[in-house]
Order: sequence, then structure tokens, then C-alpha cells
Amino acid sequence: MASIIEARNLTKIYPPKTKAVDDVSFSVEEGEVFGFLGPNGAGKTTTIKMLTTLASITSGAATVAGFNVAKDPSAVRRSIGVVPQELTADDELKGIENLILSARLHHVPSSEIGQKSKDLLKLFDLQEASQRRVRTYSGGMRRRLQMAMGLVHSPKVLFLDEPTLGLDIQTRTKVWDYINRLNKERDLTVFMTTHYLEEADGLCNRIAIIDHGVIKVSDSPARLKEKFGGDVLSISVTGTTDLTDFLRTVPDVSDVTHDGQVYKMKLPRTEQALPVIIEGITRRGLKITEISFTRPKLDDVFLEVTGRSMREDEGGGEEAWVQNINMERAVS
Amino acid sequence: MIGNDLFALTGRALRKWIRNPAAVLPGFFTALFYLALFGNSFNPTSLIPSNMGGFQLSASTLNTIKTAILAQTFGGATTYISYLTAGIICLILVFNMAFGGIDLVLDRQLGFLNTLLTAPITRGSIYFSGVLQNMVKAMSLAFLTFLIAIVLPNGLSLGSGFGVLQFIGVFGAFALLAFALSCVFTALALSVRSIDSLVAIVNFATFPLVFTSTALFPEAGFPAWLSAISNANPITWATDAARILMIHGSPLTSAQLSTLADYGAYLIVFALAMAILGYLAARRALAPV
Repeated sequence: MASIIEARNLTKIYPPKTKAVDDVSFSVEEGEVFGFLGPNGAGKTTTIKMLTTLASITSGAATVAGFNVAKDPSAVRRSIGVVPQELTADDELKGIENLILSARLHHVPSSEIGQKSKDLLKLFDLQEASQRRVRTYSGGMRRRLQMAMGLVHSPKVLFLDEPTLGLDIQTRTKVWDYINRLNKERDLTVFMTTHYLEEADGLCNRIAIIDHGVIKVSDSPARLKEKFGGDVLSISVTGTTDLTDFLRTVPDVSDVTHDGQVYKMKLPRTEQALPVIIEGITRRGLKITEISFTRPKLDDVFLEVTGRSMREDEGGGEEAWVQNINMERAVS
Repeated sequence: MIGNDLFALTGRALRKWIRNPAAVLPGFFTALFYLALFGNSFNPTSLIPSNMGGFQLSASTLNTIKTAILAQTFGGATTYISYLTAGIICLILVFNMAFGGIDLVLDRQLGFLNTLLTAPITRGSIYFSGVLQNMVKAMSLAFLTFLIAIVLPNGLSLGSGFGVLQFIGVFGAFALLAFALSCVFTALALSVRSIDSLVAIVNFATFPLVFTSTALFPEAGFPAWLSAISNANPITWATDAARILMIHGSPLTSAQLSTLADYGAYLIVFALAMAILGYLAARRALAPV
């Protein structure tokens, strides 16, 4: 597979010297869902802005769909669909009018606009609402319309900036379904930012955790959890023999503690180590009364990598005002 | 392609405008109030007292004086509103252009502008659609004001011989002024980041612009320095050009024709200059940050 987004040492400094993105490199393969994960102000949106030609690049370089972002922005714009964080579909226009406007601004031939709009409205379950003004839409419907608007010109890469911001959990799950389907059925490459960890976990083939403008780690969610969190296994046994020394000899097992005859330990994958542990315990003539283990969550990885959990929103007055309007639209 | 982009964007803005009665109706009433209230409450000819220090003027003498004032000071108009209409229309153009930018600032603040900037459209189409949408809005109000002035009792009485050509001349002058102002204020709206700063600049700029022109008051009352400024003010060019045609219709004296030609030429040059400067400023404002 070829990489469709390439970022090499991307750096963005807002004058006088705010380093929003600091020497970031990554590549996204064709057909992948790549997630950019980080707290607010980490540099996610700035990175998306550079890749989508909205922000200039202070140093480094990026190509999207084979075109250099700084040198050939028009070609990049023709190849991408962007669904911004803000709900920008026009309140006073009908759903279908918003979609047609987007199609025209992306130079979809007039003869194709009708069919494409119809297909997308169907895909996002908006056929019935399409003749209504967006003012009457719920937050979830607005998001769906916005995704349709970002796809109407059949882009090679779809940029989704916080696609489920402000949505309730059911609606959020629905949006995830759409993204999944788009990726699978249309083989669409998706570059998304989010600060919902479960979203990144459920949707992305690979994620990069960014904080203070720097990519801390980048891998598949499963491998990151394996690497940073690991499972926590808990075994209760009969008898009084101390198993601590034995458990420490099992490969990859660490942090063995016990409270009476309940042993707890960390290990990357329970499935691989469990047979060895069970065999060892049985050989020592003990009986296992209970086994349980917990899988790590991406939260644990995040905490480990950044040293803290997700920060709360921080923003200036005006940002807050715009965010309010968006939130109102999202929850209406 | 730029035609297609321009059409799509302007269409969006005008559709929004027409669908929002709260945005359209006040324009209508403003025009009506300006003419009906301002035109009647501040009619300078009604300020002449019939009793001057014990000397009683007869009704016919008073009328003669009023007519003379209108003829000499107010460009030969037969009613005060005939004089005022062109000025009020220019005033409406100025204020609509100046505050029309608010929609564009909102587009930036709410993220719509970014969706335009990531679309493969020329930056010029974003700028010119701003210019065009405000022009269409303001020019329709200008036309409405013109109609209101005509139907108002004691209102605008057009000069004899006023026909299609004169109408085109009048609205051509308005359109040139509107276009030039729209270029300036669209570029300004694309350059500022908040509505507060736009309103502050607009308030600062519009009042001096209007009151150093002949839109509301005749040049006869101006001190020399104000006359000089007024003669270089595009609002004066548009107002006076429209006024000559409205009041005198056709044929015109050679002096009137030469004023008309001068002001028309100034307006064309001014409009072109503002279009270019505005475009350059807008391109800067729309470049990646």
C-alpha cells in the first residue's frame, strides 16, 4: 500500500513564538483510518489545518494524495474532503441546498450533482429531511449532512475534525458506523482528530497521540495498549504456598502483588501466559478458585504517555462563544 | 469556473437574505422613515418665518422665497424631497455596505469561510461574491427608496424629460458608488476577526464620509475647506450626478453635462481602484495563516 498522506518534520510556529506543532512526522496509508488523538490545544487542529491548506507550514513538508501541500494547494483541495469541527451547514438553507452548494463549490459536473446528492442522502439516512431547512435538524443530522457535504465530490482523503464533538453517545455510535462503512465500502482514507479515546479505539487502524505539538507514540490501538497498559490478571488459589517467586519467573509477567491468596500481576497478553501460569500452579498442588483479568483502555495508554488524563477545554472568550453556538446546534 | 463559484456563493447569500424577513423588512422601513420623517420634519424651506421683525410676508411672497431657495440652494428642486432622495439613497448605500460585512465576519467566526478555503475555488470568487451580494442587497433597497420617494405625497418630482436613459444614469452612478464601497468594506470584513472591530471601524469611517458630502446638506452652506473635501468625496460625486438627472431630466445645460461627465469618470476610476485594492487586501486576508 502506498501512503496517501506524508508529513515530514512538520512545524508550525504562530508569531511571535507559539510552537503549535513541533517537528511532527507520520504517514497514512491508502484506505486507512488514522486518528490524531490529544487534548485540546495539543496541535491536532493545527496539523489538520496545515494538511488541508488552511494554515501555512513554518518548516517541514507534507504531501496529500501525492501533491505538495505548500506548493500545489489547489491540487490538494481537489483531492480532499474536509468536515470541520464547527457545524457549518447553513441554517437558512435546506439540507439538499447545502449539499448542492458544496457540490458546486467542488466543481462536480452539473449532470452528476443530482445522482450524487441522492446517493449520499440515502447513505446518511437524510432523504426525508433533505427538503427541510437545516435550522430544524438535530445535532446528529447536522453532522451527517456535513459528512455528506465533505464527500459529494468523491475525495480521496476525508479529513474529519472531531466528528462527534457534542453528540450524545447513541448518535456518536451511529456516526462511527457511517465512518466505518465509508472506509470499508468505498475504501476511503480517513484522517480524523478526536479527544474521545473510545472513538479512536473503535474506529482507527492506527493512532498517533499528540501532546504539546509533539507526537508521543504512534501505532495501532491494540499494540499501544499491549505496549503501555497490558492486562491485569487476578488469580485466587487455595492453600498457603507463596506463589510470588514462581509468578515472577513467567515470561513478561511483572508487578506481582498478593493479598492473602489473591495474586495480581501485569502482563501484555493474558491469553499467552495463562496456560503456563495454570500449569505451574497445578503442579504445585494448588487449586485455582477464580480467574479474572481486565483489558487496558486507551485511557491508560494516554495517561502513561502524556502523564495526565485528557485536559478540560481551555479557550478564550470568543472561542467559547463560537463553541457555544456549535454546541447549541449539536444538541438541538 | 470563477463565474460558477461566484454564482453559487452569491446565490447562497441572497437566498439566506430573502428567507430572513428580519433582515429584509428593516431595510424597507429605514428607507421609508428616512424619506417620510427626515424629508418632512427637516424641510428647510418651512423654517422661513412669515413674520420678520414686525414685517409680515404675504403668502405669495413667502412662496416665491421658498421656490427661490429650492432653486438656488437645492439644485433647482421643486420639493425638498426631490433634492433629498439622491442623498438618502447614497446614505442607505453607505450604511448597507458598511454593515453588510457582518455576515462575512460571521462566516469566518462560525467556520464557513474555512470550508470555502479548503474547496478548490479561487480566492477571488470569495471576495467578489462578498462584493456582489452586498451590492444586490443595497441596490434593491436603493430602487425601493426611489419608488417610495416617488409615491410619497409632496415627494420626488422627476424633472421633465426624465426617461430610461436618465434612469440608467441615476442608477449607474449609485451602482458605481455601491460597487466601490462594497469592495472596500468586503475587504475590510474579510480582514478583521471580530464583529466588534468591524463595527468600530465602520462607525468611525461612515459618519465623516457622509457629512463631508452633499448627501444631506447643500454645498452652498459649506465653508470653503468643507467644499474642497466634499468635492473630492465619492458620495458627493454619486449624489450630485444622480441629483442633476433626477431634478432636471433632459435636456441638460452644458455646465450640468460637464459636471455629470466629470463625476461619472471619477466614479469609474474610483470603483476600479477600489476593486483592485480590495482584491489585493482580500487575497492577503484569505491567505493561509
